[in-house]
Amino acid sequence: MTDKKQQKKEQIMLASLGLFASKGFYNTTIPDIALSLKMSVGNMYNYFKSKDLLAKEIIKFVSSYFGKKIRAINEENISTKEKTRKIVEIYFQTAIVKPEMLDYFLRIYLSTREVFKDGCEGMICVNDFVTEIMIYFEEGVKCGDLRDQDFFNAFGLFMGYLGGMVFLQGENVLPKKLNEYVDDVSDNIYKALSA
Amino acid sequence: MIKLIEKIEGEAKLNFHFKNNKIDKVDVDFMSTRHIEDILKGKSPLDALVINPRVCGICGHAHLIATVRALEDCYEKIEISNKAKIIRELTLNFELIQNHFKWFYLTIFPLFGLKQNVMKAVTPSQLMGKAIALFGGQYPHTSYAIVGGVVCEITQMDLIKLEHYIDETIGFFEKNLLDVDVQMLQDCDNVMNLLSKSGDLVDILNLIETNGWLEYGKSYDRFIVFGESSYFAKGKSIKTRVMHNLSLADVLESASTTSFAKSVHYHGKYYEVGPLARAMVKKTPLIKDAHRKYKDSMFTRILARVCEISQLLLHCKSLIAELDLSEPSYIKPKMEITSFNSSGSSAVEAARGTLIHKVVIEDSLIKSYEIITPTQWNLCGGVNENHGVSQKAMIGLENTEIAELVFKSFDVCSVCTTH
Amino acid sequence: MKKKVRILWLGLITCNGNTHSFLNYTHLEQFFNDFEFIYHPIIDSEYSLEDIISQDVACDILLIEGAIADDFIKADVLGIDIIKKYSNIVSKIVTVGTCATFGGIFKESHYKNVSGLHFREEKRTEKYNHLFEKTISISGCPIHPETLVSTLYAIKKGLDLKLDSYLRPKEYFAYTVHNGCTRNEYFEYKVDHHHFGELEGCMFYDHGCQGPLTHGSCNKILWNEINSKTRAGLPCMGCTEPSFPKQNLFSTKKNMGIPEFLPVGVNKRVYLTLAGITKAFKIDRLQKKLFDD
Repeated sequence: MTDKKQQKKEQIMLASLGLFASKGFYNTTIPDIALSLKMSVGNMYNYFKSKDLLAKEIIKFVSSYFGKKIRAINEENISTKEKTRKIVEIYFQTAIVKPEMLDYFLRIYLSTREVFKDGCEGMICVNDFVTEIMIYFEEGVKCGDLRDQDFFNAFGLFMGYLGGMVFLQGENVLPKKLNEYVDDVSDNIYKALSA
Repeated sequence: MIKLIEKIEGEAKLNFHFKNNKIDKVDVDFMSTRHIEDILKGKSPLDALVINPRVCGICGHAHLIATVRALEDCYEKIEISNKAKIIRELTLNFELIQNHFKWFYLTIFPLFGLKQNVMKAVTPSQLMGKAIALFGGQYPHTSYAIVGGVVCEITQMDLIKLEHYIDETIGFFEKNLLDVDVQMLQDCDNVMNLLSKSGDLVDILNLIETNGWLEYGKSYDRFIVFGESSYFAKGKSIKTRVMHNLSLADVLESASTTSFAKSVHYHGKYYEVGPLARAMVKKTPLIKDAHRKYKDSMFTRILARVCEISQLLLHCKSLIAELDLSEPSYIKPKMEITSFNSSGSSAVEAARGTLIHKVVIEDSLIKSYEIITPTQWNLCGGVNENHGVSQKAMIGLENTEIAELVFKSFDVCSVCTTH
Repeated sequence: MKKKVRILWLGLITCNGNTHSFLNYTHLEQFFNDFEFIYHPIIDSEYSLEDIISQDVACDILLIEGAIADDFIKADVLGIDIIKKYSNIVSKIVTVGTCATFGGIFKESHYKNVSGLHFREEKRTEKYNHLFEKTISISGCPIHPETLVSTLYAIKKGLDLKLDSYLRPKEYFAYTVHNGCTRNEYFEYKVDHHHFGELEGCMFYDHGCQGPLTHGSCNKILWNEINSKTRAGLPCMGCTEPSFPKQNLFSTKKNMGIPEFLPVGVNKRVYLTLAGITKAFKIDRLQKKLFDD
């Protein structure tokens, strides 16, 4: 794929994310997306053959976005405690700056499984992200900072907590701003996971 | 005079003291050790399954079986399928058989002035190696017997191959060692009937007679067997009187001041172990007959070792017939061995005789491990005037060459002795 | 009569396992047409050990079996003195087995400075540097007989053997033990349930199999011509490697369920990415028993 085509695809995905967040996934059609980008519907189909395919590409895109951010953290020469804080920070930061990304992940990917069952089995479409979390865990245990335990046990604690906070923020029930929770939340996570 | 005994899986030194031109006393000195028991300390108990076969390159499989049984003995209750038990017994028997072939053609042959026959030693040994590898993946040094059973699953097709290995080995035995149908040999109770046959064993036995060595190599005429199996019986035989009530607790090791090998005694007395001991306790007709005529001499000892080959081969065939392939090979123990403090011991019959392992597990690790090898029973020097089994067998002989032969008739393994 | 290559097989701190594994070579008769042992631990030889020690016997290749220590005594002389003498006489040295190459199991014995000839585990021992060029390592506990014999023939023929950094012939040690394992598919497709006593399943995930991270030809050139440990269902213990024996050999070291040691040369990110993808799919054939209807 040419860079130009890739750029266009990303543009479409970003626009879709915005529409999904405001209108809802089912209420958004391909013509809606084309219209928002001032593209012809026919041209849209050159990039994505269907809305389901677009949906899958978007989750990969989101996963890859987080994957790259966490990878950069993983590659820093810092303690697991600091890494934990940075991952939490990135996550909350994204929720604030690009709420539609996390909204997509939490409200669409996780709850609209019938769209993703074919082609996004297991964690395939979020592999980039999960791989980096795995590396963060594995290295944390190896260097003695984190306690060895079942992966999903730790993963559930980490992601469930973050997802929950972002959800509460989305419902406007948090008394403080989300980024003010970074220290406490990362502290709690680290305490729960540390050796 | 001191003689270096070579090619016994290492070396040993025999220091002969003569009186009136006859050997009056022999000091046996095994010169080096490898501290296996210490290496095991602090290791995870299951790692002993990998380390212990490396006690010995020729009988390491017996060490594996002894290890797995000692570890299983740590459990109050553990379920092992009959299939796994049979498979373990088969592979252990195969190892005994390859040992005996190697000993006969590599060690005994040259001592009778015959050319060492490497090919006759390795041809059947390789078949037995294949038979072990069929289950264990390789020989030597597999660790396929694990706490709870064996790692392998086998099929009818594997058994077909296995039977070929066994039958080919039987054919080799009949063609080379003793020109008698092994089935008939099983029932033979007169050793004289064998001496008119042909075969390498017959040649050796006749050489013993023509050289006038029939009286050589007698020791205490006391035998002991601890390792029970579907073929071997546990017990002791003292001048043909057999008792089956034995306790491992009465086996004691004592360190020697001069040699790395510790001597072993039962109720303070030295006993011979090995194929002759097994035949005496089991009352094998042919060996009983030889014993009646020649007591525990070198003649009987060599005969017993070689005849054990055919007995075990036939027994293996009947064991295979008993295998129920629908049983599981492995039953996962209800508890991890590292989850409780315990101790266990085992006794198995290795090629050279009773092999004993004792393990103590504390805080998930091996706290201590003790190995008593067959050669310690047979070959260690006695304490003070109390001669060891092989020492006693050499007393009264007139020269060191024949003494070396008597010594090696016990099938010496230096690496095992000093582990 | 053609001149045979003369070999001294010297056993030091050893169990003799390599000696016996060598006897499993299937074409020994052929071997003895071309080679002779001036001394061997169990095969009769022209010279006794005492002769070897007291004389300078002509010899082409020195084989060392067993770990080497400063104070290990064999037949009243220091083992290292025998090495010193014969390493000058021979044109090639082969360390036979993991003990002689890396120290192996017996590096933990109580002798002084126990190691392989050139390595103690991964670390170079400087002591025999002058012999480095002369040496070929055949690691393995025990060695595979074909690996040893073919290497001896390569020396005889003067072939230019490519060696890895531990002086092991690449011909045998460029492969991993995983190559050719009959349980490969369970690894490739991350079918991670294995139970001992079954034909199915891969021992990498839970039971400590080091096949993918161990250099050796066990599943290419089978053992005793018929089988291998991993095919039988026994985890590879990594016996050809400098680290042999590691601890807890029957369990896989994992951190939060992720294996700490990964296939040779495979980056963790790559491994986890591929594992994540393959794990997402359920392959029915590999979930079932092999012989199910």
